[in-house]
Order: sequence, then C-alpha cells, then structure tokens
Amino acid sequence: MLKLENVSKVYRTSEVETQALGEVSLEIADGEFVAIMGPSGCGKSTLLNLLGLLDSPTAGAYWFFGEDVARRSEAQLTRLRREHIGFVFQSFNLIDDLTVAENVEVALLYRKVPRAERKQRVREALERVGIAHRAGHRPQQLSGGQQQRVAVARALVSAPKLILADEPTGNLDTANGEAVMALLTEATRSGVSVVMVTHSLAQAAAAQRTIKLLDGRVVSETLLAA
Amino acid sequence: MFQNYLAASLRNLARNGQYAGITIAGLAIAFAAAILIGLYVRDELSYDSWVPGHQQVFLVRQKITGALAKPIVEETTPGALADLMKLDFPQLQYVARLSGGTYPPALRRGDISISERRFIWVDPDFFKIIAPPAVAGDPATALAAPDHLVLTRSAARKYFGRDTPIGGVLQVDGTPMSVAAVIEDWPTNSNVSGDVFGSSLAPQSLIPDMTKAGMLSNSLQTWIKLKPGADAATVSAALPGFVARRMMPAVNRIAPDEHLRIQLWLEPITAMHLDPVESGTFVPETDPAVVAAIGVIGGLIVVVAAINFVTLMTARASRRAVEVGVRKALGAGRRDLFVQFMGEALVYVAVALIVAVAIAEIVLPGLNTVLQRKMTFDYLGDPALLVTMLVVTAVVGLLAGVYPAMVLSAFRPASVLKGGPIANTGGGGLRQALVVTQFCVLIVVLLAAITIARQTVFAVNEGTHVKQDAVVLLFASPCTDTLRDAVKAVPGVESAACSSPGAISLTNSIDNVVAHGRRVNLDWAPVDFGFFEIYKLHPLAGRTFAADHPADDGANHTDDAPPIVINEAAVHALGYSSAQAAIGQVVNWHFRAISLKLAGSGQTSPYRSSQIIGVVPDFTFGSVRAAIQPTFFFVAQKIDFLSSVVLNIRLDPARMTQTLPRVERVWKDVSHGQPLQEVFASQFMLRLYINTIIQGAFVAVCALIAVSVACLGLFALSAYTAERRTKEIGVRKAMGASSSDILKLLLWQFLWPVLAANLIAWPIAFLVMNWWLQGFAYRIDQSPWTFLAAGAAAVVIALATVFFQGLRVSRAKPVSALRYE
Repeated sequence: MLKLENVSKVYRTSEVETQALGEVSLEIADGEFVAIMGPSGCGKSTLLNLLGLLDSPTAGAYWFFGEDVARRSEAQLTRLRREHIGFVFQSFNLIDDLTVAENVEVALLYRKVPRAERKQRVREALERVGIAHRAGHRPQQLSGGQQQRVAVARALVSAPKLILADEPTGNLDTANGEAVMALLTEATRSGVSVVMVTHSLAQAAAAQRTIKLLDGRVVSETLLAA
Repeated sequence: MFQNYLAASLRNLARNGQYAGITIAGLAIAFAAAILIGLYVRDELSYDSWVPGHQQVFLVRQKITGALAKPIVEETTPGALADLMKLDFPQLQYVARLSGGTYPPALRRGDISISERRFIWVDPDFFKIIAPPAVAGDPATALAAPDHLVLTRSAARKYFGRDTPIGGVLQVDGTPMSVAAVIEDWPTNSNVSGDVFGSSLAPQSLIPDMTKAGMLSNSLQTWIKLKPGADAATVSAALPGFVARRMMPAVNRIAPDEHLRIQLWLEPITAMHLDPVESGTFVPETDPAVVAAIGVIGGLIVVVAAINFVTLMTARASRRAVEVGVRKALGAGRRDLFVQFMGEALVYVAVALIVAVAIAEIVLPGLNTVLQRKMTFDYLGDPALLVTMLVVTAVVGLLAGVYPAMVLSAFRPASVLKGGPIANTGGGGLRQALVVTQFCVLIVVLLAAITIARQTVFAVNEGTHVKQDAVVLLFASPCTDTLRDAVKAVPGVESAACSSPGAISLTNSIDNVVAHGRRVNLDWAPVDFGFFEIYKLHPLAGRTFAADHPADDGANHTDDAPPIVINEAAVHALGYSSAQAAIGQVVNWHFRAISLKLAGSGQTSPYRSSQIIGVVPDFTFGSVRAAIQPTFFFVAQKIDFLSSVVLNIRLDPARMTQTLPRVERVWKDVSHGQPLQEVFASQFMLRLYINTIIQGAFVAVCALIAVSVACLGLFALSAYTAERRTKEIGVRKAMGASSSDILKLLLWQFLWPVLAANLIAWPIAFLVMNWWLQGFAYRIDQSPWTFLAAGAAAVVIALATVFFQGLRVSRAKPVSALRYE
C-alpha cells in the first residue's frame, strides 16, 4: 500500500520558486487502478515521479509499502525502484540501439536475474502483450501501438508491485489505446497497483478511482464502482 | 541576413563557452603544432639555400670499397685532391679545402685563453664559394695572406668585445694572426659552421700536414664552385677517369694488397644535409626518413584535431535543432542553413588560427633552444608562409565543416519543432573509428618516445661498455709522462693514463695486419699503462700493459714491435676460437710506420711481429650506431697528438669537488699557459647522442600534443554521448540501474576503442621502432612491458578524461533525464 501524507514539491531555480505540488495526501491500495487527471502544469507528472521514486518530495511523508521513503538516499531509492516499480511513458522511451527483447530485458538486467531466467521471462512478457513475433526488431521498426506494448511488457516483466503510466495512450489511436488499457487492467488482477496519468475521460473510466489535480492540489476524488 | 547568421554564430559560441573553448583549443593546439613542425621541416629542407649561386656549389664525396669490412662513404677527402682537380677540370671556378674542429688550437689575447673548438682552417678561396654577409672587410680576399683570420660576429665580440676588430691580433698556437674580415654568424641551416677561420697558408695550419698524409688520409672537406654555365654532369662523368689517373697509383702504392676502389661524386650543397654519410661530417646531417616522419606526425595531429572538430559540431546538433526548425519553418532552404553552418565552422577555425599563431610565437624561442636552430616565424613578412597557413586553415575549416553542416541543415522542421526524434545524426561507427584512429596515433607516438628514451639511456650507460663515471678527460697534445705523473700525485686522483685519439674513438686508423697467412684490417690505438684499468676493463684472458714489464713500452723497440692487447672483436676477426686461444699468437703489422710518423705517410714499411699478451672486452667511446671495430692496442712513444692526445683521470667520487681545482692548478704549472680543456667522460659520450636526444625530445613533444588533442576529442565525444544517451540513461535508471551501473556503461563505451587502438598500434609501433633501432649496432630489445605500459597509460588517460563527464551524467536524477525528451 502507498500512502502520501502532506507531500509537497517545490522546484527552485536561481530566480523563481515553483510549487509543483502542495500538501497532497492520498492512499493507493494493493491491486488498485488509479487515474490522475488535470490540466497541463497541474502537477500530474511531478506526482507520478514522486510515486515512482524518481524524485524526492520537498516536505511530507511517503509510505511505500510500509517504509517511509521521503528522505532516502539515491542508492536506496534505486534499490526500491528496481525491486518494486515498473514504468510506462507517453513517449515509450525505448532505447533505440537495443532490440525489442533487449529493451524488455533491461528491466531485469539490474535485478541480477540469471541469464536463462531472463530470456524466459522476457519471452513470456512479450507473449503476454502479443508482440513476441517482433522480438528481434528495433523500436523504430515498430508502430507506436507496438512500441507501447513493448513498454508495457518491460514494465510487467519484473513483476513489480506498482506500475506507473504517464499518459500511456497519449500518442496512440483508439484501438491501440484500448489494447494498452486492457493490458494494464489485467495487471491489477494479479495484485499490482497501477497509477496512470491521462487526459482522456474514457481511459480514466477504466480506473477504479480518478484523482483530479489543479495547481498542485487534489480537488476531487471520484470512486467508480468496482 | 549575414548579420543574423553572424549574430547566431557568435552568440552560440559565447553561450556554449565550454564547447567553444574545447573546439577552439583543440584546433589551436593542433594548428600551432603544425606551424612549428612546418617551420622545422622547412628549415631541414632549406639547408644552404641561402648561399648565393648555390646551384653551382658542391662538396666532393667519396666511397671507398675493397678489402674493408664494409664500404665507407664519407665527405672528407685527401688534401691533395683540391690541386689535382683544379689542374684537370677547367669548369671549376674555385676549389677550397676545410678542416674540421677536431684539434682545437689555443687562442690567446690578453687574459683570454681558449682552446677554440670552433676554429677552422680553410683555403683562401673558401669564402668565394660560401659566405654569410660580410660585417667588415672582404672575406673573399681576406685569407690570401698567411697570417689573416676571418671571424664571425659572435667570435669578434667574444675575443674583442666589438663587432669590427679589423687588424686586431689573436695568438693562434703562439703565432700572431690578425683579423682581416668579420662575417655574420652562420645560419643554423648551414652545412658549414665555425667561428674563427684561419688561412691554410699559415705555418701552423693543419692542412699542409693533412695533405702530406697521403691519398688514403681523409680529413679535409673539398668544396668546389663551378664556373657560370658549367655543367656538373660533365664534371661527374669525367671523375672516374680522374680517380684512375690521379689517385689510384698513389693508393695502390700505399695499400698494394687491399684492392681498394674509390668513387668520387659531386654532392649539391643544398642536398647534402638530407643525404647523410657515416663519417667526415662536420655539421650533423639528418635522415630524411626522420624529417618525413615528423612531417607526417604534424599532418596527423591536424587530422585528429579536424576529426574532433567534426565530432563536437555534430554533438551540438541537438541543441541547434530548434533554431534549424524555426529557420526552416520561416522559409530558410537547406542551402541557406548549409551556408550558415559552414560559415560558423570557418569562424571557429579562424579564431583557432589566431590563437595558434600566438602559441607558435610563444613556443618558438624554446623550440629553437632545444633544436639549436634559428627558425623565424615572420608570417607578415613572408607571403608564402602566410598564404600557406590561410589556405590550410580554410581547407581544414571547409572539410571539417561540410559534414556537420550537412547533418544540421538536414533536420526536418516538423519533427524537431514537435520535440520528436531528431534526425539521426548518424555516423556512430565513423565516430568510433575516429576515436580508435586517434588513440592509435597516440599510442604509437607514446611508444616511440619511450623506446627512444630507453635506447638513449642504454647507449650512454651500457652500450659502450665503458665505466665512465668519475672519469675526467683532459685534452693535451701531446699528453706527456710529466703531465700524467704530476696529475697522478694529486690527492683525490685514483689513477691517470694518456691515450691516443683512436683509443677514445675520436679518430679511427686502420692497419692491414697479417696473422697466420691471413690479411685482416684492424683498427689500432696507442694507449698508456693503466688505461684499461681506469675504465675498469678487466682482461678476458692474459694481461694488460704493465709498467713493470719494460718490454711492453713501444719506446723500447726499434727493430721489432712491442706486444699488443686486442679486443674481443679482433679475436673473431683474426679467427681464434676463444680469447684464451689468442694469447701468445703472433700478428704482423707496420709498427715503425705507425709509431714514428704515424700512418699513411705514403711510404711502405716492413711488417714487424708482435705477440698478443691480452684480450679486453669490446668497448667504444663512439656512437653505438656503429659496431665496435676489431682493434689492437699498444704502448707507443708519446710524440704527437696522434699518439697521445688526452689524459684520462679517474677521481675518487667522494672528493671530486676538491680534486678538480687541484688538477687545474697542476695543469697551469705544466702547460706553460696553454688553455685548459677538460670534460667529464659522460658528457664527452653525450655529444654523440645530441641528435638522438633532439629527435627524442621532438617526438616526446609531439606525443604530448597528440595526447592533449586526443583527450580533447575524447572529452568531446563523451559530452556528445552524454547528450545523445540522456534518454537511455533515464530509462535505465527508471528501470533500476544504479549510478555505478551507468558509469560502467559509459566508461566501457570509451574503453573498448582504446583497447582496440592498442591492438592496432602495437604492431605498427613495433615495426617502426624496430626499423629505427636497426640503425644502432648495440640496441635494446623491445620489451613487452613497454607496450603494456603505453597501453595502460592510454587507458588511464582515456578513462580520466571521460570519468568526470560520466560521473556527472550517471549521478543526475533520472527525472531530469526523462524530462529532457
């Protein structure tokens, strides 16, 4: 279970101070699918980065599966991220120089998974998202929908407790978007929590709960019938 | 429009201070190196091209073949040659002989008393053939009087304290001679040097004696100038006939059994510097391969810098993407942008050239000191130099600018403006190949520098087999028993012994000896009792000369010859199975001719027989470039400089500072005011390696430049990579890669090209240095450790260069890397 208590994030440059998040508190249960919505610049991505331990809050507490991680070192955050979190990005963020299978394998590389097991799990993950037949291709040889499915496979392959998706369907057509949503929903059934930033109400409808942000604060939470 | 481009270029340059600094620094260092190397190469190629009428000026060179170990090519010739050529060749306008500075006379004026090593005896016509500009008097006619001297400006200041001491008198070996003309100092790119020139007509001149020494005594240079319109080819064609007619009868009389052949030819004065011969050179000559190698290194440095330039310009591509997109969206064509970026490249190289010129001006005086040259960098007064520099710079700018300009101008506006993927800046493989090439050059140059340093140390310390530490050489002609015994009595002197110039490799003299019916050419060298002991040369068999054996002393022999000691090489040359087997054997040689008038007097004398009493290890005071000659030693009467020219003194190392002044006082008492000329044996040896050391220094400097330019390139590439792989690094970190994982990834990317470069560079360096070492008869083995050390150095340098960039990137928070997209 994830729990944020009065978390704020302030970005400072030499001239200006920008409050990206102000005293946000929220809880996300195991296996829950949460959508985050809000206009540009409302703090969605900042919240996602904090949840994903890619960044640390300026103030407040973050209970990450029972541990307060708000003040951890970069190395400890790296370890937690490695063990528990998978990411899906709007712009896919696949490494151009690696093949599809190698891209997925990256997620296991830093977890010290033995080579044979790695190959096995990569194959399973690619089959799960239906892209196994393109395992040897480079990302640029795939369509956007296919690339995002690879990215989902990469997020799933390490069997994380939490998947963070930043507008995963933003660059996809409707059909491909729905396919990716189906993959994420299916993941929650095995107990994985999914937090997704989206602009689309239709996509948000797939989530169990929608959190709306405005100017760095939570303005509403909508619980949908499970 | 141009203004807008210029503004964008300059602001870009200012905004990217670090990039711009690295780009310009790399180019500037390389241009400066190229300028200096260019000046050096030009200097090497320009020897004596300043001599008026140099097309008609030649040195007579000769090659002697026959019963010698190997042919001798030298540029000294018999003294009689000059007059004979004047008789036979009407095409000659002037002929003049010149003696080197081997036997420096004592020059005195008032309190000044100097053994002048830069004293040269020349024939009166010499300055009609070659002369620097006159400062005072007429050098062309000055030496027609037997008691006249010509001084350089430096010598005039040294002896008289002024530039034009016409009529001033110097005592030359005790005989007064007056200054009749002063010339400018010789340019350093001249085959002639010297500060004080005496007329060969002077009674104490060495030239008449050297001429009398006969047709096989070669210690003078013979210079000729052809009449205007005369053809050198005609003279050359007639030279074989001249040799047969004028020289061979005398040669065959002196050496009837040696079947000698002599070949003469005319060497153009401007060609001789890069056409080196083994002996008889008065000014060091240069192997053209070395000049070519240095030129190639200069070119490589520029190429490497140009490669860096390309890398840096393309590396910055992504930063300029938006500018390109906007300009294209606003209607700029690809051609407009191409012109803009080419212009930018030219701005960079132009700035680099200005910095390079400043660096070259600052470094040149130091380089001149090291190389002992007077190279000038007067680019404003030398249009050819200026044009060359500008053209080379422009070519580098254009060539290096084309690729980045093509890449940058090809960006698709829609894609860049949306922030989507930038057109692949491509050439990843090319860039890796360039890094490998850079490090190849670096490692080869590094290995060359190490090998040259090792060989020089070896040559000075071990190759000669002489223990010369704590030994001082005191020149005295002749070195007498009186002087020796007086110096021996000085407290702190362990031992002292006279020796001939041959024993310390100042000259070499050959006798054709007969042993067991076989004829062999051996070098001979008179020595004193105790000579071998001073250099800790212990006999391998038998004994060395001992004062308590009166029969050892050549002075006690008239009708027979004294016993001899031979070196190991002579054991082999004479065909004995071992040093022990040589002891007691009999050798026949020309003892009387050698020890009384000493060599080549033109008279034959009967063979005398000697017994071999000892064998000493091979040793030489000469260059380790030449093999140690088979030599025999004997104790001769100390009658002139050829039998006894130097006192070898071994000092107690602990008391050297007190002992040397005492030795100098003894010299004053014994020498009747002759100038003192002493030198440590180790320094005496070092003179032979000046050229090697200069070559080594030059290569070391090149190595340093290559290292710094290659490091800049690597730094550039690491910056480029960091920029290009930002997204990848972010993704990997999001996936759980730690900072050290990323650091390893980045470092490996730079490590493997360096490792690959090692594999390519090692065989190249091995072959090149093998070729260089072949020039030495005694040489080091190329050690695998040298290669490993150079390789390790390259790896360390490479990693140190990219480490901080890598560290910075790897420690960045992943979120900033991902936001970059």
